[in-house]
Amino acid sequence: MASNEEGSIGTSMHGVTAREQVYSFSVDASSQTLQSDDPTAKFALPVDSEHRAKVFKPLSFAKPHMRAFHLGWISFFTCFISTFAAAPLVPIIRDNLDLTKTDVGNAGVASVSGAIFSRLAMGAVCDLLGARYGTAFSLMLTAPTVFSMSFATGPVGCLAVRFMIGFCLATFVSCQYWTSVMFNGKIIALVNGCAGGWGDMGGGVTQLLMPMVFQVIRLAGATPFMAWRIAFFIPGFLQVVVGVLVLTLGQDLPDGNLSTLQKNGQVSKDKFSKVFWFAVKNYRTWILFVLYGFSMGIELTINNVISGYFFDRFNLKLQTAGIVAASFGMANFFARPFGGYASDLAARLFGMRGRLWILWIFQTVGALFCIWLGRASSLPIAILAMMLFSVGTQAACGALFGVAPFVSRRSLGLISGLTGAGGNFGSGLTQLLFFSTSRFSTADGLSLMGAMAVLCTVPVAFIHFPQWGSMFLRPSSDGERSKEEYYYSSEWTEEEKRQGLHEGSIKFAENSRSERSRKVALADFPTPETGTPTHV
Amino acid sequence: MAVQTFLFASLIIFSSIESNHGATEVSLFTNLENSLEVTAKPTRVGVVWEAGKDIVRITWMLKSSAKVNDDAAFKTVEVKLCYAPISQVDRPWRKTHNELSRDRSCPHKIVSKPYDKIPQSLNWTVDRETPTGTYFIRAYGTDVNGYEVAYGQSSDAEKTTNLFSVEGISGRHTSLDIASICFSVFSFGSLLVFLVKEKRKAKLQQRK
Repeated sequence: MASNEEGSIGTSMHGVTAREQVYSFSVDASSQTLQSDDPTAKFALPVDSEHRAKVFKPLSFAKPHMRAFHLGWISFFTCFISTFAAAPLVPIIRDNLDLTKTDVGNAGVASVSGAIFSRLAMGAVCDLLGARYGTAFSLMLTAPTVFSMSFATGPVGCLAVRFMIGFCLATFVSCQYWTSVMFNGKIIALVNGCAGGWGDMGGGVTQLLMPMVFQVIRLAGATPFMAWRIAFFIPGFLQVVVGVLVLTLGQDLPDGNLSTLQKNGQVSKDKFSKVFWFAVKNYRTWILFVLYGFSMGIELTINNVISGYFFDRFNLKLQTAGIVAASFGMANFFARPFGGYASDLAARLFGMRGRLWILWIFQTVGALFCIWLGRASSLPIAILAMMLFSVGTQAACGALFGVAPFVSRRSLGLISGLTGAGGNFGSGLTQLLFFSTSRFSTADGLSLMGAMAVLCTVPVAFIHFPQWGSMFLRPSSDGERSKEEYYYSSEWTEEEKRQGLHEGSIKFAENSRSERSRKVALADFPTPETGTPTHV
Repeated sequence: MAVQTFLFASLIIFSSIESNHGATEVSLFTNLENSLEVTAKPTRVGVVWEAGKDIVRITWMLKSSAKVNDDAAFKTVEVKLCYAPISQVDRPWRKTHNELSRDRSCPHKIVSKPYDKIPQSLNWTVDRETPTGTYFIRAYGTDVNGYEVAYGQSSDAEKTTNLFSVEGISGRHTSLDIASICFSVFSFGSLLVFLVKEKRKAKLQQRK
């Protein structure tokens, strides 16, 4: 590894031209992917050394990057529609199935709990089988559960079906994983924010879509108790259609599909036990688990309870309450990408430390507005508080996934899975503590949930990267530990490094130098754009 | 962003419309006179009634104990199906409220007839959309402006006697079940087909 030290032969030439394959050391000729002289020429967008796109063009459907983005967020959007499809129809369902408030609350907890396990599993599936299969499995294996709402006859059936439908929220992980392998680190927070935000919008759209579908079916002559069951066929059918599209149009990695690349030796197959161990061993994973539980978690809880809250407390009509509920979810369209963009901007100026500060600020401010929402006793103030709360919390979700891709390269999928599972865990926990009993009124529950979120956002101060620092600490001054390569190659054993299995991580480490603050990057390392080495 | 602004604006408009309701008179249940006598006789006794099938004979008239001009203000009689306390347990959306405009315990309207001084009756088929639950029947006497001035119910004041149970329709249908199974099989099947096809393609490529 002599070539990693500064000043050694060859390092000053790194990144001098934009079109060279930049590796820290020579690699086996057999694992090169070159079919033509310039492999980056076949991509529609400019790419980096890992063939990840450096530019984000949301209106394009170019293969493979933008196509993966659109398939990813649409899959996730469809799953959100299915998971929360019951929420706006609860007034009909609770009469048909003779449900009590406890039954409704428990079904709400069940609808988000299933995904805790499926998101974990999805992380592993993505690492081992690729994002395409992960997404397709999630969509097409849960579509039958959506159709089986037609069989529910009581509280137990309703709970069981909502629990099983909730499994499809695993598409969140496959969607974020897919974009993380397709897009460069400099823009990853914005891309992940758009994909996540536009997917989350499904939770808002469903509050408008399902009542509309229900009305149309009723006008066609069905009784209400049959119409809501038929209405569930719409999200189910959407899932199947999108699943087929993902399988036919999608591609796992910029260079091709995972199984093809693995067979050609271009991507090494990894062992699940290793992937799992390095994800679990990393303490940052668990901090992200908690953080996401109190940004996305409370967002999921609100999706389940806010319509009923406005209906009961302010005596709104069902349709009006539905519009309010939809507004909360629809804010995701710009709020989450904004969070991602702010994270990328902060990274450009302050590096990873900026990303961590932005995350803390957004999440805390959002939680404070949640406290205010619970205290508001007039309708306009409540709506204002709710909108500010939605922007803060959803931006925090976007900012968090600006940090997550850098926690690990080897276990990227599993960490996305664990973080995503944390979101659902937080939602189940807050619904259970604050909204399933008559101990607190819903208003008090909202304020208490906000207070708990403020407290549980404090741990972000403890996320420390030796190469980039943390909220309050500078990066390590140790020569070796302050290198990105050291951090990412520490996930591989010496034996594996000798076999060269960690090449992907080294490439990633090179590209992640963007997370150094601008001051540090200019001071001791030549930037590719200037191309002028500080010492020859 | 435009969608966002539109939704926000419609919210503000709706909320201001909502808050203007009930600005004038407030009808309280405790202010009503119990001057109507209501009876409900089913055609089938001692069984749970089926929504959409069973018939009930409902009669209402001024109580014999009522004073002479008690019914002077009555214009119409509204007969409603109300939830018994047992069907309200742990269901705050069916809560009884003294303020009649906010009361949610009598949501199902049976009939609304102009008041006639003679006893009136009706053969009512239990509505198909009636949910499963335990009920009693109440009649409100409303004045010219539509505000309730008197009431009567088939049960006692504590709503413990003369209650009847209704079994709602399930909403399930064989055709729905079959469609559900067909779509599910299609979903599984297409996934399997794709997996098999891709495995075969990968094997062929490897052999090359």
